[in-house]
Amino acid sequence: MNRIASRRGRLLGLALAGISFFSVAAASAGEISVWVWDKAFNGNTMREAGALYTADHPDVTFNVDDSASQDDIRAKLQTQLLAGSTDGLPDIVLIQDDIAQKYLQSFPGSFEPLSDSIDMSVFAPYKVAAATYDGKSYSLPFDSGVTGLFYRSDYLEAAGFKAADLKDITWDRLVEIGTEVKAKTGHLLLDLDLNDTGVIRMMMQSAGQWYFNADGSLHVIDNAPLKKALETYAKFYQAGLVKPVSGWAEYTGTFTSGEVAAVPVGVWITATIKANADQSGKWAVAPIPRLDMEGSVNASNQGGSSWYVLSSSDNKAEAIDFLKTVWAGNKDFYQDILIKRGAVGSLLAAREGDAYKASDDFFGGAPVWQDFSTWLSQIPSVDYGTFTAEVDSAVQAQLPGIIAGGDIDAALQAINDQAQQQMQ
Amino acid sequence: MTSTTMAENTASAATKVGLATGAAPFRLIRRGLVYLLLSIAAFISVFPFYWMVVGATNPSAEIIKGKATLGGSLLTNAATFFAQVDAPRIFFNSAFIAVIATALTLAISSLAGYGFEMFRSRVRERIFGLLLLLLSIPFAAMMVPLFVMFSQAKLVNTYVAVILPTVASIFIIFYFRQATKAFPSELRDAAKIDGLKEWQIFLFVYLPVMRSTYAAATIIVFMANWNNYLWPLIVLQTAENKTITLILSALTSAYTPDYGMILFGTVLATLPTLIIFFLLQRRFVEGMLGAVK
Repeated sequence: MNRIASRRGRLLGLALAGISFFSVAAASAGEISVWVWDKAFNGNTMREAGALYTADHPDVTFNVDDSASQDDIRAKLQTQLLAGSTDGLPDIVLIQDDIAQKYLQSFPGSFEPLSDSIDMSVFAPYKVAAATYDGKSYSLPFDSGVTGLFYRSDYLEAAGFKAADLKDITWDRLVEIGTEVKAKTGHLLLDLDLNDTGVIRMMMQSAGQWYFNADGSLHVIDNAPLKKALETYAKFYQAGLVKPVSGWAEYTGTFTSGEVAAVPVGVWITATIKANADQSGKWAVAPIPRLDMEGSVNASNQGGSSWYVLSSSDNKAEAIDFLKTVWAGNKDFYQDILIKRGAVGSLLAAREGDAYKASDDFFGGAPVWQDFSTWLSQIPSVDYGTFTAEVDSAVQAQLPGIIAGGDIDAALQAINDQAQQQMQ
Repeated sequence: MTSTTMAENTASAATKVGLATGAAPFRLIRRGLVYLLLSIAAFISVFPFYWMVVGATNPSAEIIKGKATLGGSLLTNAATFFAQVDAPRIFFNSAFIAVIATALTLAISSLAGYGFEMFRSRVRERIFGLLLLLLSIPFAAMMVPLFVMFSQAKLVNTYVAVILPTVASIFIIFYFRQATKAFPSELRDAAKIDGLKEWQIFLFVYLPVMRSTYAAATIIVFMANWNNYLWPLIVLQTAENKTITLILSALTSAYTPDYGMILFGTVLATLPTLIIFFLLQRRFVEGMLGAVK
């Protein structure tokens, strides 16, 4: 009730406008402020990048603020850009790739086109494509969500499967493997959350498709990869291979506790899996399965975010030079953040460094980082459009019916109708 | 616990009566059902609170597994929380904003409520109706214009920007106006005859008589300000100015949230409202029932 301000409150606000007690000084010149949303991951990574730059440019310092959640940052950006007031906005902000187009298209001129000054060909192409609008790319690609099939090698061996049996397979083959694993070891294959479309999206992207056509219109009803993805999703449930979970804590808790045998997910989950040191040597990573159709590859993406420079920044030149020097040029930096934070960047040349070549005993001594960087370069580019979240929720609404064996074409029609309504 | 014993007492009482009347077994069953439902409702409302306190003593991994008994990680969780959050500063922000906002809201809104009730006129009724109408506008709709105003006034990222929009609370004005209806006009007349000016009547007669109403309003307003989320989120920019509500929200959304540490922070953040409630509890109930006896 108190959130509701009366007119009187606002008038008083104007009346007291002159008194700026408690007002906080704006960021000083030469200080680059950055908004991130996870202290341990993107926060400390950015702090480290800043320290590298400050070492060579003592007049430029960094203020990395990780005191807001991703949703909070979105709400603030949206409100302020709508209000046309850039007061207090940072110089650099982290934005998740699948939401970026919304900002670029809704608020033209608010972000700096970085492709004018930074060579984008050194990054994974799909990351650059996600931030390209009107022929220019606006982001400095950060972490990749390159996917892999993380699995319990001990469970699969007990069921008679070796690493080679999981290499470059289709999702349908994974259903067969999962059925055997369940029969022989008693472990379910996956845990899935019906409120999360992650797996469906990664299946779709592996075939180079997304929810939209090039002109931004909905591409749902005759979207063959999406249809195939939904069919495949239903197969896991119908074969009885899924432990249904709800929410992030239960989702991660189920595979880290050894309840299920595999988890198809973005590379950023590595830290969560490796946190259970007692499971060292019991995990392995295979390429993500592909859809059983023409054009689908064994590489996809889930999540990932990138750095954007706001046009309102007073330190634009320094911010861009910083991104160019450290993020687009320093291979060693990428080795460091891989070792310390498990962050797989999008700089393709990073794979030539020592850290990327090292093998990992946790994953049975396999060169997992080299594998991930190979898959990274193979991820098909898609246009995430501006309404991904809306279509996602339309898909979620249909999932309970789909896994119960409902008609997929009817579900696609329903998704299309619901999304269409929300996009207007 | 209490409800079970009470249920037993009532049950035995009902049995005794039941010997005489044939309808008693029905009454017994009905009583039983009522207490069963009440027990379930009590469990549902108390359990989250219990879970929060117990969670603060367990490590994150155990919480995810669903452990609901006391653990030994309270100190670890506390250490992690204080290492990651600048607690004195953040709690000062929350407390400063909530206390000042509560004081201002009570002062301004009770004056308004008093005024609307004591000095009735057709125009004032219209204004009051308009105010009530404004209650139906969701805050989200006013956020952008409000932000533009504060931005032009150069007040973004200040305590003032958080406090000002809340101080004239329509709900509290309405609440005070309703409560003032029970304020005996004889008291005011007598005070007038004794030569008191209007502001003296308000300060020395009205205020002491209405202290239960003030107590109830204090709890409501303090809680609303302490828990206020959306507007502080938008208008506070830097980490050192944020309130505990915002910081807790950010901690929850980390890629690997430390639930033990977060629940410890949540317990800390709950304490002030809890303390204020218990301090003013008796008056709160009185205030809700009607202040003037």
